[in-house]
Amino acid sequence: MKIIKILCIALIVSSGNMFAQQEEQKSGKTNTNKFRQLYDEFSTPNMFRTGSGAPGPAYYQQQADYVIDIELDEKNKRIHGFETITYTNNSPDALNYLWIQLDQNRRAKDSKSPLIETSTITEAQIVSDFTKSFLKEKFDGGFNIEDVKDINGNTLAFTINRTMMRVELPETIQAGSKFSFSIKWSFNINNHITVKGRSGYEDFPDGNSNFVIAQFYPRMAVYNDVEGWQNSQFWGKGEFALPFGNFEVNITVPSDHILDGTGRLLNREEMYSREMMKRYKLAKKSYNEPVVIVNTEEAEKASKQASKYNKTWKLYAENVRDFAFATSRRYLLDMMAVKIGDRDVMAVSLYPKEGNPLWEKWSTRTVASTLLSYSRMTFDYPYHKAISVHAENLGMEYPMICFNRGRPNSDGTYTDYVKYRLISLIVHEVGHNFFPMIVNSDERQWTWMDEGLNVFLELIAEQDFGERYPEVLSPEHKRYPTRRGFPNQIIPYMGGDQDYISPIMSKGLNIHQLGNNAYAKPATALNILRETVMGRELFDYAFKEYANRWMFKHPTPEDFFRTMEDASAIDLDWYWRGWFYTTDWVDIGIKDVKKYYVSSKPNDYARSYAEQYKIPVDSLPPMVFLVEQNSYEFEPIMQEGELLDKSKPLKAYLMDNFTEAERNKIKQPKYFYTITFEKPGGLVMPLIVEYNYIDGTKEKVTYPAQTWRHNDNEITKAVASEKEILSIKVDPEQETADIDESNNAWPKEIIQSKFEKFKSKSKR
Amino acid sequence: MIFKILKQVINRLSLVFGFVLILVLFNSFSVLHKFYVSITQIDYVEEQESLQITSRIFIDDLEDLFRELYDKTIVLDVDQESEMVEFYIESYIKEKFNIKINGENVTMNYLGKEYENDIMFCYLEMENIKDINAIEISNKILFDKFDDQKNIIRLKINNKNKSFVLTQDEQIGLLNFN
Repeated sequence: MKIIKILCIALIVSSGNMFAQQEEQKSGKTNTNKFRQLYDEFSTPNMFRTGSGAPGPAYYQQQADYVIDIELDEKNKRIHGFETITYTNNSPDALNYLWIQLDQNRRAKDSKSPLIETSTITEAQIVSDFTKSFLKEKFDGGFNIEDVKDINGNTLAFTINRTMMRVELPETIQAGSKFSFSIKWSFNINNHITVKGRSGYEDFPDGNSNFVIAQFYPRMAVYNDVEGWQNSQFWGKGEFALPFGNFEVNITVPSDHILDGTGRLLNREEMYSREMMKRYKLAKKSYNEPVVIVNTEEAEKASKQASKYNKTWKLYAENVRDFAFATSRRYLLDMMAVKIGDRDVMAVSLYPKEGNPLWEKWSTRTVASTLLSYSRMTFDYPYHKAISVHAENLGMEYPMICFNRGRPNSDGTYTDYVKYRLISLIVHEVGHNFFPMIVNSDERQWTWMDEGLNVFLELIAEQDFGERYPEVLSPEHKRYPTRRGFPNQIIPYMGGDQDYISPIMSKGLNIHQLGNNAYAKPATALNILRETVMGRELFDYAFKEYANRWMFKHPTPEDFFRTMEDASAIDLDWYWRGWFYTTDWVDIGIKDVKKYYVSSKPNDYARSYAEQYKIPVDSLPPMVFLVEQNSYEFEPIMQEGELLDKSKPLKAYLMDNFTEAERNKIKQPKYFYTITFEKPGGLVMPLIVEYNYIDGTKEKVTYPAQTWRHNDNEITKAVASEKEILSIKVDPEQETADIDESNNAWPKEIIQSKFEKFKSKSKR
Repeated sequence: MIFKILKQVINRLSLVFGFVLILVLFNSFSVLHKFYVSITQIDYVEEQESLQITSRIFIDDLEDLFRELYDKTIVLDVDQESEMVEFYIESYIKEKFNIKINGENVTMNYLGKEYENDIMFCYLEMENIKDINAIEISNKILFDKFDDQKNIIRLKINNKNKSFVLTQDEQIGLLNFN
């Protein structure tokens, strides 16, 4: 009987529930655990998109093939165009009408885009701005649709709804069939310096212009299994969603222009001079440095007088989602080759002489280096070239071509800042070839899917660039000064005013801080996921799988989230939920540390329940007694001696149950701690703890994020150690974007603020 | 000679500030990949009777503004900038950034600035602040350049954390502790 009683007590003691408390009945609740699955947020997997995150057996996408003839009216800054679109309906649905995007209508005189902005009258205004606001007639940059006809020349009815146009069909387009029709149109090109925009022209004092042209043709909207026809208008923010197709584009410009754009140049020999062809052939074999194909003198000569004649550049591109080009008589041109897999890809730069000396030195090299880095992280760059064009004030991407700002001062000098900004921008815009030009997500809905993933890879590509070209780094920089993606850099945003922060899973048009929200935060989230949560090997495999599954296809956010889990066997629903679906932040700290010593005699804790069960203290089952250092029971003698000498019951237990050889292997801890960790921040993250011991050694332990699954605010850890712990630090290498470090150390460290550091530095 | 230049600059500054206050750019298309925001951290350290101010401002935004306001050739860069830059920064910030403590104007000392990547950290201090019952902050930095500029203010005063966002429409933030 006594034995049973002792056993019962032992069970009660070891389970720690000595005094069960009566509680009032609380009300019921739904599951709000941060580790619950995202079933409510995600759509149900289906035949189009599977639960693994891959395209399903019934996945389809539409195709739009274009034949386009364009004429640039340089004098009047106008474009005239005629296109024939062949639309292939690969969906299982019958289509009664087609939707076409007229993005330039964002700049039409009756555009509603300015009307959604808020504004106030200010009591003193610079005259030029006052004039622009109230006196000047607004620039008319909308599309003028001249006609829409079927392939037999019959007029098709159409309805323009702002930036979109619905074309009525003579008969329904059945599943699997095609429909061809043509559009004739024209529009005024915007000056992208004064009117702004994503493309346009810039005037130079010599009377010539630099044309960087995009969104210049009526483009097919996306029809898919998720949205049906895309129905989100172009308000100016929120970029594009476009189907893939083949483009045959003939562009007529003044004969002294140098032009390049999306696709293969079919009539290069006709367009290039003999000397240019000779240099081009050299460039195709130059893997280490760019070869200049049009030099400064040649560009200056061409700029002196405008040609009266035109010529037509013929380009052909397969499997691209868009088309853009750049043309000017002021261009310098250089190229180099870069090996991607077993293929040669050309890295190309076009720039007016104002870009030098910066552009000739860094543009083409940056293009080549970026293609290598991104290809390593995703798939081999599938196109045959990538062009970086210098356009002041822009930073905008299209398939195979992008427009980048970054211009030295007029005397040719430039700051570190301008140099790094240009290189980072080229990395970024060339990188967009992968996301969203090839992994073709819907930019209008989900800005982060291309910008966030791209900024994440930009960080990797920039670090590579600094290693590949160490001469780019200024003496004070040990590595390339990437400005977004590292955990510390996102702290001011994530710790900021919640009124101005939106979850990453928000539409770009509607959020306050687009740069932080859709670029920097998702990039940082992925960087932390890679470095701290998943590890590079598992992350990189899964990320690559996502890129390859969805290259030349249209993924949704869930396809990304699901693939990352499917390919890594890590349930990341908690991570997506916290970082992508909420505006919570990371703040984890140490609340309390209690230190215990083993006592040779029973303590009050033991005595009190011996009393409760009405047995003498010496009838308790064999136990080890521990006393907290700051308690009234603590005596300095408890700090002395070895564990087994102090606890006879423990020694006896070991003697009875272990052989001598086994006993010799057992470590004998001397110091015992209960550490209470607190989590004021809403995000769950792995708990990374560095224990520093008295002998100068340290140990880093990472407790998985799931350690917070039962208590989201506070948890405790018992630690037994042979060596005394001198200090403890949470997130010692600042890898989690913890917004408040004042609670990260025990004993508390006084953290000198940036202000105090600066003040004490300047006093010296 | 230096005094003469200074005097000229001061004249020019007062002229500029007289006429150019805030310009609102209607119809302005937002520049791509760009958001206009500054963050100012204000900490009251009671033991030192000091209000410590650290302001983070994008270098390129300020450089664009200074080129328009003062000097077309101006460069903000540790290695290449002229001595005038420090003077412009101090003048501009003191003009655009004001704090009233308990209803009174208090002198703001400009300690200096440092650059970190694309951000300028600017340090200011108000001394001999015995207690704070109310603080009124007006921060119009870059409002004269960008219509969608947001200046975020983060306060840590008397163990209270508070933040607000100043915009063209809401240029002043007020906090009472009583």
